[in-house]
Amino acid sequence: MTCDEARALLLDAQRGRLPAEEREALRGHVAGCDACTHEEAADTLLSEALEHRLPSHAAPLALKRRLAAAWPAEPPAASVDEPARSRGWNWRRLLVPALAMAVLVLAALPLYYPGSDRGQVMVTEAVNDHLRLLSSQHPLDIESGGMHQVKPWFEGRLDFAPVVRFLGDDDFPLRGGAIGYYLDRKAAVFVFHRRLHAITLLVFQADGLPWSRRGLETIGAVRAQVTASRGFNAIVWREGELGYALVSDVDMPELRQLVGRLAPTS
Amino acid sequence: MNGVYDLGMAGEPRAQVGALGREALAYADTLYNLARYLTRSPTDAEDLVQETYARALSAAHQFTPGTNLKAWLFRILRNTFLSQYRHERHNPTVGGLDTVAPAAASAEPAQWLLGDVELDRLRKVVGEEIERALASLSEEARTVILLDLEGLTEVEVAQVVGCAVGTVKSRLARARAALREKLRDYAR
Repeated sequence: MTCDEARALLLDAQRGRLPAEEREALRGHVAGCDACTHEEAADTLLSEALEHRLPSHAAPLALKRRLAAAWPAEPPAASVDEPARSRGWNWRRLLVPALAMAVLVLAALPLYYPGSDRGQVMVTEAVNDHLRLLSSQHPLDIESGGMHQVKPWFEGRLDFAPVVRFLGDDDFPLRGGAIGYYLDRKAAVFVFHRRLHAITLLVFQADGLPWSRRGLETIGAVRAQVTASRGFNAIVWREGELGYALVSDVDMPELRQLVGRLAPTS
Repeated sequence: MNGVYDLGMAGEPRAQVGALGREALAYADTLYNLARYLTRSPTDAEDLVQETYARALSAAHQFTPGTNLKAWLFRILRNTFLSQYRHERHNPTVGGLDTVAPAAASAEPAQWLLGDVELDRLRKVVGEEIERALASLSEEARTVILLDLEGLTEVEVAQVVGCAVGTVKSRLARARAALREKLRDYAR
C-alpha cells in the first residue's frame, strides 16, 4: 500500500467503512510510516474539532413556529364509507362485512399505536417547552407568592386569561410563572414542584391545534391525552377555549393527581 | 427545479403529508445549521429554511416513506440555495472546489505536515476559528464537510449534491485538506 492509497482510506477507516482486510493493510502501512501516522492523527483531530467544537446553530424558535404553522396538520383519517370498487355480482353482500371489519380495525388502531395520532405533535412541543424551561438560567418571570400573585401578573401580557383552579399546596407548591410559546401561540407557563422535580403547566388558546381524538383518558371532568415522550410524562387536555399541557419526570400517577386538582370536578 | 425532488417517488396519499410534516420539522435545527453555513447569514438562513419547507410541502406526495427524509430535505435545501444564491458562484472567493488542482491533495506532504505544530494547533483550535475557516471554503467544500458531519453516507451525500459517489469521496478529501490548511494559516 502506498502513502496515497493509505491516505485515501483514512476517513473511511475513521467512519468504520473499511472491510477488515483493508483495515488491517492500512494499519500495517500507518504503523511503519511516520508521515501517514501524522496524517492519521491530524485527520482524527480535525474530525474531533469539527464534531465537538464547530458551533452548531439551532433554528430560532420563531422560525420553528412559522414552519409548524405553515405545514398543515394531519388530515382526518380516511373515511370508511369510500365507495366499493368491486364490479362483482355479490359486492353488496361483501360491503357490509367489509365495513364492519374496517370499523373494527379503525377502533382497534389506538390500542396498538397509542402515540401515533395527531396529538403527538402537541406532546412533543410541550416536552420541548419543559426542557427549554429546565435549561433556562432564569426560567421564571415571576417567583411565586401564591397563585393570587402569579395569575394577575399575566394581565396585559397575554391575549387571553389563563384559567387555573389550583393554587398550589404542600404536595405541589407553585414556584412561579412565565410567558412562553406553544407551537404558534403565546402560553402562560406555571411551574409547580413535586419534591425536587419541576412540573410545567402550559395554558394556551386551544383553537386550531391538532388535538388527539384517540385513546383519551378521563381525569375528573376532562378527557385527556396521557402519554410518555422522551422519558417525560405528559398530560394534555382541552377545556373549552383553553388548552392545558402538563409535563414532568414525576411518575404518571402523581401527574394525574395534579391534573385532578387542576381540572374541574364532574 | 426539475430533478430536485426525485429522491422520492410519487403516489403517496395526502393523508401522510401531515405525518411527514411532523417528522420533517424535527430536522429544522439540522437544516438551519446547514443553511447558516451555506448562506453565512442568520436572516438568509431563515429564509432558506422556510423556502425549503415550502418546497418540501409542495412535493411531499413525491417522497417515499422509508427513504431518507433528512437527505431529501438536504437536497431540496441545497438546490434552493443554488437557485437563489447562484450569483455567489461567480464570486471567485467561493468558487467550485473542483477547480482546486488535484495534485494539491495528493502531493507529498509539505514539511509542516510532518511536524507536531499542526497537531498542537488542531488540539487547541477554538470553535470560532473552525467556523471562520469553514466559512472561507467554497460552497461545495462546506456542503460535503457538513453533510459528512451530519452522518450522511457517501451515497447519500452524492444524492444530495447530485454527483457520483467517487466524486464525493475526492471532494471531501480535498475539502478537509483545504480546511486543515486554513487552520494552519491561523497558527502562523
